[in-house]
Amino acid sequence: MTTPEKNGFPGKGLIKGLGITLKTMVSRAGTQQYPDVEPELPARSRGVIGLMESNCTVCMLCARECPDWCIYIDSHKETVEVPGAARARQRNVLDRFDIDFSLCMYCGICIEVCPFDALFWAPDFAYAEGDIRNLLHDRGRLGEHMAGVPAPPPHDPNGEPSKEESTAAKKGGAR
Amino acid sequence: MELPQVLGEPIRFILNWGRKYSLWVFNFGLACCAIEFIATSMGRHDFIRLGVIPFAHGPRQADLMVVSGTVTDKMAPAIKRLYDQMPEPKYVISFGACSNCGGPYWDSYSVTKGVDQLIPVDVYVPGCPPRPEALLHGIVKLQEKIAAEQSGFGGVRRKSAAELNAPLVSPP
Repeated sequence: MTTPEKNGFPGKGLIKGLGITLKTMVSRAGTQQYPDVEPELPARSRGVIGLMESNCTVCMLCARECPDWCIYIDSHKETVEVPGAARARQRNVLDRFDIDFSLCMYCGICIEVCPFDALFWAPDFAYAEGDIRNLLHDRGRLGEHMAGVPAPPPHDPNGEPSKEESTAAKKGGAR
Repeated sequence: MELPQVLGEPIRFILNWGRKYSLWVFNFGLACCAIEFIATSMGRHDFIRLGVIPFAHGPRQADLMVVSGTVTDKMAPAIKRLYDQMPEPKYVISFGACSNCGGPYWDSYSVTKGVDQLIPVDVYVPGCPPRPEALLHGIVKLQEKIAAEQSGFGGVRRKSAAELNAPLVSPP
């Protein structure tokens, strides 16, 4: 059997390889320089959960539905005298609202079930801690996370109008 | 060896600087967080530009152990043994909810609820799984912790095992 002839001069493979290396060397790298440059995250990215306390009525739905049981809520009832009413009203007052982010699995069930829109996603992710007890964020810290919550997305122009829009349009048309 | 304070500070700074920017990472990838760890080691979010070099040849050549993923009771003795095989000074990052405290599997019969039940952890990175940038932030936080270490020629003083227990949590 004859030895096969090499296709080209000796060193051709080396030069081809070096050409690929040179091409990679002079082309722009796609590295995101994180600590110097913050990443551009989509508006619905799940980084941390923020609490808007004024909306919370302490219905405890989020704590019940959380699969990890990572939400701790304490509350008490207060009576509010309303002049001219048949009897005094009662309202829930929030004492403690903690989310344990060491347990949280970022499923979003608490935000979905909240009937009063008191919980929101925020894209902030940089809250690693040296002590695991500091991963339990109390209501003050959860309120601070609200600063990072992005604006809601605009309505789809081709979508069906929402219930509020259609009833308002009907009322306006009837007048 | 006790040096006078004015001589010790530059040496402490230089030793800590060398230690924090040359971390060989022993990637202990157990579950989904391992994929995020791999993503962080790849081109888009490179942790090698922070000085963390991936793929140490084994625990004996590693400085940093990143426990990423669910720690099961079956794997726990292996983790402890490999941690013990790492030479001092060594650091541990707990990456993800499962290694922080059991995470979504907190109720399972076979999951160790947190790798800090076995080994001392320096930085906990929350997330399920955490973003690659969150791991980079955790590494930066570890580097800040190393820079603040009071070490000298004697090396880094490790806490004794008796000090590692957290105090009892008081009832609300």
